[in-house]
Amino acid sequence: MIELRNITKTYNKDGGVEVKVLQGINLTIGRGEFVSIMAPSGMGKSTMMNIIGCLDQPTGGEYLLDGIEVAGMNDDDLSSIRNKKIGFVFQSFNLLPRTTALENVELPLIYSPDDLDIKAKAKSALEAVGLGDRVGHQPSELSGGQQQRVAIARALVNDPTLILADEPTGNLDSASSQEVMAIFKKLHLDGRTVILVTHEPEVAAQADRIIRMKDGQVVSDERRAN
Amino acid sequence: MKTSRIIGLAMSGLARQKMRTFLMMLGIVIGVATLTVIISLTKGAQHKVMKGIKNFGANSVMASAGGGRMFGPPDGSTVTLTMADAEAMQASIKGIKHIAPFTMHVAQTVVAGSKNTEAAVFGVTPAFADAWQWFAEKGDFISDEDVSGLSKNCVLGQTVVRELFGDQDPIGETVRLNNTNFTVVGVLTKRGASPHGMDMDNRVLVPLSTAMRRLYNTTALGMIRLYVDDPDRLDEVTASVTAILRERHHIAPPQEDDFRVTNSMAMAGTIKGVSKTLTTFLLLLASISLVVGGLVIANIMLISVNERKKEIGIRRAFGAKARDIRQQFLGEALIVTLFGGIGGTLLGIAISLAIAGIKKMPAVLSWEPFVLAIVFSAAVGIVAGLQPARKAAGLDPVNAIKG
Ligand SMILES: Nc1ncnc2c1ncn2[C@@H]1O[C@H](COP(=O)(O)OP(=O)(O)O)[C@@H](O)[C@H]1O
Ligand SMILES: [Mg+2]
Repeated sequence: MIELRNITKTYNKDGGVEVKVLQGINLTIGRGEFVSIMAPSGMGKSTMMNIIGCLDQPTGGEYLLDGIEVAGMNDDDLSSIRNKKIGFVFQSFNLLPRTTALENVELPLIYSPDDLDIKAKAKSALEAVGLGDRVGHQPSELSGGQQQRVAIARALVNDPTLILADEPTGNLDSASSQEVMAIFKKLHLDGRTVILVTHEPEVAAQADRIIRMKDGQVVSDERRAN
Repeated sequence: MKTSRIIGLAMSGLARQKMRTFLMMLGIVIGVATLTVIISLTKGAQHKVMKGIKNFGANSVMASAGGGRMFGPPDGSTVTLTMADAEAMQASIKGIKHIAPFTMHVAQTVVAGSKNTEAAVFGVTPAFADAWQWFAEKGDFISDEDVSGLSKNCVLGQTVVRELFGDQDPIGETVRLNNTNFTVVGVLTKRGASPHGMDMDNRVLVPLSTAMRRLYNTTALGMIRLYVDDPDRLDEVTASVTAILRERHHIAPPQEDDFRVTNSMAMAGTIKGVSKTLTTFLLLLASISLVVGGLVIANIMLISVNERKKEIGIRRAFGAKARDIRQQFLGEALIVTLFGGIGGTLLGIAISLAIAGIKKMPAVLSWEPFVLAIVFSAAVGIVAGLQPARKAAGLDPVNAIKG
């Protein structure tokens, strides 16, 4: 479902220095795969996730999502794709403060063109991550693990085919990390494509396929036989 | 996005920042409240003036003794208007239905038993009642016999009755004017305020002859009032009166008139002119406060957009279009100003009523301030919210989400 062909991304830092973060990424990820992308910090993992998630555009190369070239799309089309097909999970949770878990999970549904029972869908997403009893809690009233589970509920509430998790366990203790990883495994078993970025080998090892990056390029691509 | 969803988003955004929302609303509340107070009170004042003009009489022309520069009622020292002038008018002007020459002496002490009060004393003929369309509510008016016999009968205005007799029936009682005892034969209907705000019910009417010969020993009239059968001829009659008086008083152009002629149309014109200037000035003031309120909102919204970059980035990541973000922030500005407008109108109404109560000024509440407030507030909201909303919508999602 994801095809990256010679993707490059170059940032212009203040002072005119060019930083070539991605230097020709070639990668194909099929529907329903559970992939982890590993690289040390600052190596362009988030940059790549943003490109895959249609939040950012590459400087060069081609990106086909479900066979459609993303580069030519306008901002509204990209927004629609993010809304329908993609669910982001971030390292720092990125929940709205002073907003209940339920309202946080409702967020993607608000921007859906479909006529939905927003409250009911959000509530069942929270139940799916084991937080049916925390709907009225604000982020400040939840533990880190619970906050990340709210964030996962938000990512899957619109029923996307692709879950993109950028260091989802980076801010969690090991017990919470395990809970969160268990949810990702379950999402994968439900048939969703899950791409997980991490620099922790133990986390990466839980995926079926591990892709390692260095200096803006893919250096290894290893599949685990289950 | 559906309007109801935009409203919901904007409302919850505002609810999360209550203090800020309050501050944004404040300017609009003050501006709209000022506007409402101005409109209610000027309308009240206009209403009062129009009532005064109605009390003056729509069909009337009035000539007063004394020059154009003089203001206020003439007194006994101005001897420029005489019975002969009145007779000349009656003889040569067509279409006069009633003509009422009368004298007027303000601030006269009126005594009844142990009580006394100050009132204006008018020397009148029976025509006075017709010329003013103002009759006795109880008892009789001054009659022809009273005038020809220099009788010591009088008719009281309702303020004098209240001051001297309270709830008692004054008919047949005695009042003392200038050391002369008068018998009360009638009470006038209530009339209210004159165009100048004078209490028209604070007066005593006596026969014209009695006033001129017995009380004040003068040949001078204070005023001559003409009741014209056709109000369209007011200006024509006014001009005729002026011409007759100039000729009879031998006044040539460089010389100033020793009398004043006015009618209700002219009075309404002057007073409307004054209140229009005042209203324009106050409306300008209210507009300035609305503009300032709008600037405050625009600034606070810009700060808010900066502080909520992360929220904007998150929304974009989950599928919000640039347009959705713009509508959300524009919605916030509009809701602030609309609620501010409604709150300001209510506050303005409360203040108007309070001022009306304390200052005894009339306030007229109407739908205009409400509609104006909604229109103004919506305009201010759109103008103030547009720039911040554009800025929010234009943020790059990747950078925004970093906060
Ligand atoms: N908007 C940007 N402007 C300039 N440089 C950026 C920008 N975003 C990321 N970078 C740079 O790109 C490199 C890769 O960043 P990132 O993708 O966040 O790495 P990772 O997620 O692997 O830690 C870093 O050196 C970072 O400083
Ligand atoms: Mg990163």
